[in-house]
Amino acid sequence: MSKLNWLDRQGLAWLVVVLCSGFFAASCATEEAGNSLIFASSADATTLDPHNTTDSQSDQVIWMLYNALIRYDENMQFVPDLATSWSVADDDLTWTFNLREGVRFHDGVPFDAHAVKANFDRVLDPEQGHNRRSLFMPIERVDVVDDFTMNVVTRYPFGAFEPMMAHVSAVIVSPKMAAEKGKDFGYSADAVSGTGPFRAVRWRKDLELIIERNDDYWGDPAKLDEIIYRPIPEAASRIIALESGDVDVITHIPPSDLSRLEEDPFVTITKTLSIGAQQFRFHCKREPFTDPRVRQAVSYAIDRRSIIDNLMPGMVQASTGPLTPRMRGRADLGEFPYDPDKARALLTEAGYPDGFETTINTTARYNMGVELAQAVAAQLAEVGIQAEIEVLEWGSLRQYWGGLLPEDCPLEIFIMGAGASSADADWGLRPIFATQERNENNYGFYSNEEFDALIMEAMREVDTEKRNALYHRAQEIVYLEDPGAVWMYDNFHVVGSRSNVSDLTTSPLGLVTFERAFLTQ
Amino acid sequence: MLRYVSRRILEMFLALLGTSMLVFVMIHMIPGDPALLLTGLEAGPEVVEQMRRELGLDQPLYKQYWRFLVGALHGDFGTSIRMGVPVLEEILERLPYTLAIAVGGTILATLFGVTTGVIAAVYHNRFWDGLVMVIALLAASTPSYWLGLMLMLLFSLWLGWLPSIGIRTPMHYVLPIVTLAGQSAGIISRMTRSAMLDVLGQDYVRAARARGERERVVVVRHALKNALIPVLSIVGLRFGNLLAGTVLVESVFAIPGVGRLLVDAVLWRDYPMIQGTMLFVAAVFVVVNTATDLLYGVVDPRIRVGNPIG
Repeated sequence: MSKLNWLDRQGLAWLVVVLCSGFFAASCATEEAGNSLIFASSADATTLDPHNTTDSQSDQVIWMLYNALIRYDENMQFVPDLATSWSVADDDLTWTFNLREGVRFHDGVPFDAHAVKANFDRVLDPEQGHNRRSLFMPIERVDVVDDFTMNVVTRYPFGAFEPMMAHVSAVIVSPKMAAEKGKDFGYSADAVSGTGPFRAVRWRKDLELIIERNDDYWGDPAKLDEIIYRPIPEAASRIIALESGDVDVITHIPPSDLSRLEEDPFVTITKTLSIGAQQFRFHCKREPFTDPRVRQAVSYAIDRRSIIDNLMPGMVQASTGPLTPRMRGRADLGEFPYDPDKARALLTEAGYPDGFETTINTTARYNMGVELAQAVAAQLAEVGIQAEIEVLEWGSLRQYWGGLLPEDCPLEIFIMGAGASSADADWGLRPIFATQERNENNYGFYSNEEFDALIMEAMREVDTEKRNALYHRAQEIVYLEDPGAVWMYDNFHVVGSRSNVSDLTTSPLGLVTFERAFLTQ
Repeated sequence: MLRYVSRRILEMFLALLGTSMLVFVMIHMIPGDPALLLTGLEAGPEVVEQMRRELGLDQPLYKQYWRFLVGALHGDFGTSIRMGVPVLEEILERLPYTLAIAVGGTILATLFGVTTGVIAAVYHNRFWDGLVMVIALLAASTPSYWLGLMLMLLFSLWLGWLPSIGIRTPMHYVLPIVTLAGQSAGIISRMTRSAMLDVLGQDYVRAARARGERERVVVVRHALKNALIPVLSIVGLRFGNLLAGTVLVESVFAIPGVGRLLVDAVLWRDYPMIQGTMLFVAAVFVVVNTATDLLYGVVDPRIRVGNPIG
């Protein structure tokens, strides 16, 4: 054996020793960090680029790293964030924002009107193809008036302008970092820069995403030193990790574990009514669902109270309209009553006295999605509707939602989680129920002329009262008269935390944030 | 020998090429559209269309495959559609976790399986045999998903001895490795027992005993050495199973390994990532099996290539 070889072996052995001790040292350091909180969700964030985010895992981290011009408070009212004040001109098109001075991005770049303009130019640029471009289409252009004043001009008077500006995708990123990193922006910890109370430190995908307090924050500084986002895909493991104290906060708690956790003295359960609701939609261009009476019959045949009590106790409440009570512009139209006799009468009237056969498509991606479909099918059988259940994996179901013509879409009744990320009626109704030739977002091909007219009028109405009146009428149509879906229940956003965690913020958007949170001993 | 080894390497290469083609065809056959999945439920059609163009999904399939193959031969497996990072980089970062657990699981399962198998064979039809075989049967038929959760309940929640999830300190590796080893240990144990029983009945063992050799020498040197060949092939195959089995263990213990990467890649139709991980897992599997084949020769000179003895 040559000398070199021997040295190699020695070297290797040392390398192993060093690596192992490094391992130990690193682990000790993590464990000893004082004021650090571990948050376990079901999945990792996908991106920290706000212009590309489409999932709540990413959204809740983004809110920690960035600020928008305005944001929702806990009561879903708009409050200043990076803007100090804002107003709309008499033409209802030009919105003027006065911006906060003395704010810097994490990379040291000063925040000003030019940065804001660069952001909207970025998300609206068709060449860059950001996922969230559709959301900002009502904006025609952004003008810099002076360094700390700017105008946003919309193409038409846009009633949901403020919800759009308070959306997670409207947060402001450092224009310098975004330009430098291009397509890579937001996909690693060193390609992120905002103005928020925390800054990104390290991101090992699916292992941990670590953010630390930004000591130069312009607002009230955060109390936690760092937050570690640690995805745990298995619900059972997530719950054990919380109970054993390995993590401090978890989300996505299965209904079967809820009551046990509620009794655990070391665990606090927080429930917030969310913007999200569970529904089943119809393929409205396919017999027999072309007839509104059939869709009404399906709705009357379902006993929501019994489904909720048996499947989702404490996790949801029965829907009282197409939008949950946390959405702007929602109408309270009451629970859909359980009335099988009326369902049978409606079916007879529609020419189906003996019911019909159909398929319910569902996916386990929604909480209890399969069990829910089974319960619904059993209740439909009571009025003569024989529904076969087909369970699809998310990707396979998703292929039928988007860009198909009615004849190419094989679905009949299908599960759907609804909840507009802007928390506003426009985004909660227009894309999903306004007439579309292909099912780009209106997956069930719902079409109602009066509804369309009302929605388009409301979209261009800036006056809140007039707007709400239009939406009220539109919701009566889509919920009662010509139902676009079977509304089942509105979801609570359920968060479990160790009892020593104080002042979590759980927003109706289904997000947990930590701007005020702290740990007690 | 050299000719044999080079032939095996060529075969390995062909197997991988075949795998890449098969995987490519399969992922384009499963329904689902990455552009729709990635852009989210609220994206408009113009955004989805743009995404399709960017991903090259509007190109004919043979062109997409050719682009992948040329890239792969240059060591470039493309960029993950979902994660926006180079595929190879991400795999290499995660491979150590998966390999550590799979190799650890294999070693533990082999040590445990062979030891208990030998004990059972030596105490054939007696109390220890029965006990070992019941335990082996239980181990072989316990789903690792369930076993992992039970171990976690016992050692993390009730006893508080070991961390429940994650992978930072050596202690974090204990439960995943034990969980993963469970099934294989049971199977290897049963396999070793029957191979040993076979051998212990052979004439040369009787002859060794007749020569007055000590029982320990008879069992270890004469019997076990010969019983190892079928056991070795099972271990080689089990390693493949363990590599695949890490998927569940990685989910239960929240370990960012290759298994989870692959599952997420399939769920999101992340084509480049599926291609890359499948090729890597196949490569590891093929290498291990080739190594096992070569190891036979070491254990049993009769199988050694180049010796034309039947």
